[in-house]
Amino acid sequence: MSGAALTRRAAVRALAAAAASTFPVTFSACRREEDRPTGKPALPVALLPCADYEPVTLAKALTDGWAATAPPDVRGKRVVIKPNIADFSPDRPIHTDARLVEALILHLRGVGAGEVIVAEGPPHNRDTEWLFRQTGYEDLARRLGVPLVDLNHDDVRAVRNANPRAKALRDLYLPESVLSADVIVSVAKLKTHRFAGITLSLKNLFGVVPGIKYGWPKNVLHWNGIPLSICEVNATVRTRYSVVDGVVGMEGYGPILGTARRAGVLVMGSNSLAVDATAARVMGVDPARVDYLAMAQTIELGSLRSEDILLTGAKLADVRADFVLPPGFSALRAAPRK
Amino acid sequence: MSKDAVRRALGFIRAHRNPDGGWGYRPGRRSLVEPTGLCLVALAADGERTDARAGLDFLRSCRKNSGAIGIDPSDPEGSWMAYAAILAFDALGASDEARRLAEWTLAMEDASGRFTADEVSSIAMTYRYDAAIRGWPWTPGTTAWVEPTALFMISLVKAGISPEHERLKSGVRLLVDRRVRSGGWNFGNPFSQSQELEASPLSTALALAGLGAAGYSVERAAVREGLRYLSGALGGDVSTVALAWSGLALSCYPLEGPERPDPVARLAALQAGEGGFRDNLFETALAAIVLSDPARLVLTAGRAG
Repeated sequence: MSGAALTRRAAVRALAAAAASTFPVTFSACRREEDRPTGKPALPVALLPCADYEPVTLAKALTDGWAATAPPDVRGKRVVIKPNIADFSPDRPIHTDARLVEALILHLRGVGAGEVIVAEGPPHNRDTEWLFRQTGYEDLARRLGVPLVDLNHDDVRAVRNANPRAKALRDLYLPESVLSADVIVSVAKLKTHRFAGITLSLKNLFGVVPGIKYGWPKNVLHWNGIPLSICEVNATVRTRYSVVDGVVGMEGYGPILGTARRAGVLVMGSNSLAVDATAARVMGVDPARVDYLAMAQTIELGSLRSEDILLTGAKLADVRADFVLPPGFSALRAAPRK
Repeated sequence: MSKDAVRRALGFIRAHRNPDGGWGYRPGRRSLVEPTGLCLVALAADGERTDARAGLDFLRSCRKNSGAIGIDPSDPEGSWMAYAAILAFDALGASDEARRLAEWTLAMEDASGRFTADEVSSIAMTYRYDAAIRGWPWTPGTTAWVEPTALFMISLVKAGISPEHERLKSGVRLLVDRRVRSGGWNFGNPFSQSQELEASPLSTALALAGLGAAGYSVERAAVREGLRYLSGALGGDVSTVALAWSGLALSCYPLEGPERPDPVARLAALQAGEGGFRDNLFETALAAIVLSDPARLVLTAGRAG
């Protein structure tokens, strides 16, 4: 067991080292002042107890979390909310709950957002009309008068990958709805992932990669290497705020076939990597052992180190819920609770 | 009723042609090869020539030196949208261009040759499909999936490629191999670790249409079980595009009787006042084809020899 863990740690270290050659740490496009904790105040992340999807519960958590995490100024701006709608099952919580996104829309309007748009490009089920209807997003958009954009079929434009050493994706096609956004808010689901270990805010951005160019299930990203693709997409499309739906997450063989796991929290913050690292800790995962989080740290997309994160709200130890990990990922498990 | 629906659908298509001759997925959006190709097929049956010429010029502007076609003129690579261009070239009598693009499609590589024997064996164990079977991917050089394989099969047969061509026979093998064992298809992963993945109406309709285009018999288990799945699924919530492809798929097979589903009537009822379907030009064109004459895309059962 420990041998496996060491092997995995060694592999992650090797991957992070390799990232330095495939993804130079010094390129400026990747860096933002607010993502650099060194010599600066720590990255604020809020961990909010949230027992259910009742509007009052969600509104309070979002208001408290937003206020505590140096959020972006959204006044008068065009805000794109990117939920995770990987697929739909009536039996499994695959997608970001539409009630959370509804509460977030109301919150953003309340703090002055000019226009709020909900946009998603589901990864392998091409039937977006059916997915939006089944997951409740079609109804939500109609009731609130919010545009609901299928990013797989949006107008697209090629932009230069922020990684100057990118090979397969040197020019990255992206949807206009994403490129024209003033603020992108990633609203992911707290889930395990059979290829990546866990899927949170950073991995959620695979959904902005358009199917009309890259197909379904966006296989080019897999052939490019999942950790590298996650980092390239996130370095090119910068999320300004992240919310992870951990009210009910998914454990085991996620992100589609896992089982529901109630964690009763929202994780929020303006740095995706810090949010994901905290969400990983909620799941009982050591973020430094997750390939793509380690790579994101190496290229300075933020920080996953506890000492760089200013955690507010609940105590991690009080909400930690060790999720069952997918086969082959047991080495991601963090040290047991003291 | 149906004639009027088709007339109004074609009116919607004509009203939203872009100045470059092509169509986007929605009115006012940038022209792309897939909606342009299907709009041209829909208009071709109406004897349309003016819009057709400009549309063909748009498709030609998307061609690459390699013979491939991208998603739009700026795309430097070949794309899965070539299937729609083949259909349009064929429908409008540009048979040399249809053939050249068909040749590129027949030579298009998927990832089947990139997998090692160990990887093929591991995929077979975990996902229960044969990754060594060649099909068609969405983007050249990546993994083959059910839907692009079906789309290319439909277009190649329409362009005159024999179902006996080795590449098409391999496409049939892939579709049969990737089916969900309890019936139907999803995007191409029938199984994962210890669980069967669910089929979906859209993928199933496309796979059945692809097999139907290639003359695969209704007597085969994959088709029978797929039709059974689709009949059941059509009783529930189904999208516009899945209804349209289902209408096309069912036209390939000689099913009669009260249990035969009728997605076409349900599809017709979804038409909006201005003639479009979901304000989507691709879906409107596909619906117009299905409502008027599915034989413009596939060999329908009534016309089989």
